[in-house]
Amino acid sequence: MKLPEKYTVLLIAIVIIVALCAGCTQQTPASAQPTEVKVGVIASLTGPASNVGTNIWQSAQVAANEINANGGVLLRGSTTKVPIRLIVGDDESTQQGGQKAATKLITDDKVDILVGGYSSAVTSAYEQTIAEYKIPYIVTGASSPIITHRTDIDTSYIFHQCPTTDTYGQYTTTFIDQVIRPAANKKFNFSSTRPFRLALLYQDTAFGKGVQAAVNNTITKNNLNIVLVSQQSFKMGESDFRTPLTAIKAAQPDAVYLAAFPNEGAPAITQARRDIGLDTIFLNVENNDNAQFYKDLGQYGEGAIIESRFSPYTAPVGTLADAQTKFKTSYSTKWGTVPDMMGASTYEGIYIAAQAIGNAGTTDKAAVKQALVDLNMPQLIEAMKGGTISFTKDFRESQFDLWMEQLAFNQTIGECRPNIVWPDNLKVTDFVFPSWYKPSST
Amino acid sequence: MDVGILLQVLFWGIYAGCIYILLATGLNLIFGVMKIVNFAHGEFLMIGAYVTATVFFFTGINPYLIILFSMLALIAIGAVVERLCFRPILGTGKLNEIFLSIGLIYIIQNGAAVIWGDKWQSVKSPYEGITVPVGPLAIPLDYIIIMVVTAGILCGLYVFLKKTKIGREMRATSQNRKGAMLVGINVERMDILSFGIGCALAAAAGTLWVVSGQVFNPYMGSIPAIKAFAIIILGGLGSLPGAIVGGLLYGIAENGAAYFFGGIWKDAISFIILIIVLIIRPTGLFGESGE
Repeated sequence: MKLPEKYTVLLIAIVIIVALCAGCTQQTPASAQPTEVKVGVIASLTGPASNVGTNIWQSAQVAANEINANGGVLLRGSTTKVPIRLIVGDDESTQQGGQKAATKLITDDKVDILVGGYSSAVTSAYEQTIAEYKIPYIVTGASSPIITHRTDIDTSYIFHQCPTTDTYGQYTTTFIDQVIRPAANKKFNFSSTRPFRLALLYQDTAFGKGVQAAVNNTITKNNLNIVLVSQQSFKMGESDFRTPLTAIKAAQPDAVYLAAFPNEGAPAITQARRDIGLDTIFLNVENNDNAQFYKDLGQYGEGAIIESRFSPYTAPVGTLADAQTKFKTSYSTKWGTVPDMMGASTYEGIYIAAQAIGNAGTTDKAAVKQALVDLNMPQLIEAMKGGTISFTKDFRESQFDLWMEQLAFNQTIGECRPNIVWPDNLKVTDFVFPSWYKPSST
Repeated sequence: MDVGILLQVLFWGIYAGCIYILLATGLNLIFGVMKIVNFAHGEFLMIGAYVTATVFFFTGINPYLIILFSMLALIAIGAVVERLCFRPILGTGKLNEIFLSIGLIYIIQNGAAVIWGDKWQSVKSPYEGITVPVGPLAIPLDYIIIMVVTAGILCGLYVFLKKTKIGREMRATSQNRKGAMLVGINVERMDILSFGIGCALAAAAGTLWVVSGQVFNPYMGSIPAIKAFAIIILGGLGSLPGAIVGGLLYGIAENGAAYFFGGIWKDAISFIILIIVLIIRPTGLFGESGE
């Protein structure tokens, strides 16, 4: 029997409509409440940055355990909570490793959101993949502003839960101008118009160059009485700094600003003081507020400055002190060591991811991204501007309250410990020049 | 320009050169006798560093004395690696040697990470803080000791190769393997000995790396190994004087480049020199044609 042509057309139309309806029906479970939230954590578990990377991964686990101990993530519009499952990706401290880790987490493990990232050079190498797959990514370590400022790819899914090199470079330069320069003038009877002689030793990556640019821009923009007498670079992972330090010593600086990772900063300061005789103040970037840094420095860290927002060994007096102590205790109980700053921001990153997915009520990537854009949650363990965590509308950067620490050598433990010296509302002691400090004779 | 500063940079170059010389000499010795390409040579430097640090942490013995223990330990480890890994593939093609040594890099690195952890570590020399006035410079005593120790090891190696029967047999194997077999030299014994001594020299480099206050972790050996290869190509494959001159040249060039052009040029300058030398003299500075 042959059907008339109009019936054939009608039959085909019915089949297509049924198929489409079936497709719609099959999509329903996907938009239904997920059984778990998969969070990918990108950390440097091997390679030169493994010390910090391990801290990042361990801190993420502390946060996930706490969230799951409270039942998990409560999705908007639902009455039941779903647990978080962390999946780690080791970027191997290399750009290729980062690309592999990000691709595997996104395509194989099919994570709902990403948290982590330490080296700016490594993180920027796989941002193209993030942009391509449109995965929300909360960067908790890579501090170069290019992470969210670059325009060659779509970075709208990337959020910065750490201060950028612009922010802390400017902050540290301001500290030099407002605290160290006047103190030097007073102690050594310099003229108040004498320019402060600053030297830079920076990692030749986006991170180090970011700090260099921030210092230069801050001096120029604010017309500060600081002159950069030497700007020396080194490659990432370097362990021999004697020659650039010799060049810096020849330039007779009053202080040296180091833009380095902890495994670079500690030997640089040790070699400067021990081998070169460069007895000056070393200012360090916040990522050096790390237990291994204090251990490696020993007595050579005395007098050094660290710009910080979370320290394993101190906390500003106030409401956050209890929250920080609770995190440090949980971390130490689980891992037997102390957390560092990158661990702290990653701990917060996991909570932010959970909050955003909860607010979105789904793991749909676009909805989670929008929830991050709209995020306004109380600060957790680090001091945020206005007491809340939210991301700026232009470059999706959270805003931190920072402080400066000065290290004092503790003979009993054979290591230095930090004291907050700036700003005035947080400081516990004043900045002082160590007895061995030698200013420039120029 | 301040002459004192230039002399200081030169001094740091010679210090860096000492580490390179020991590493490259060991690599050259192995290549000279066995004609194998071992990209995992830097991992023996790393093991030497860890052996020194471990013995130091447990006993508190002066780390300069531990260098002997470290070298002996690496002779044994090197002999095992030669026997189990390289001997079975000897003569089967360069590709096998390359892939085997690349595999060894990962195995040794991860093994070290399991045993010692992968955090950066450092050791403090008992002589830190002591400086010796040398002309316009105040040189830390450690670096003078490092240079003296390096010179001592090289002199010992020279005497061993020139004055002892085993040394002469090793040189004969290096010059003509078949000829050495025909005159009754046990070339397999020479292989295992040269590999062990080569690893011991890498261990000495690792110990001196540690006592100079440089940080180390399981992944530290790869870059020095690449540089050691560049040095032996520059100096001439199989030539021990070439490894010494090449190592010194590299150390000084690296530090000079870091001073004059910035740290970014530190690694690049070595390979620029290598390319220039190979264009002018393809066999390297001290190499014989055909090697």
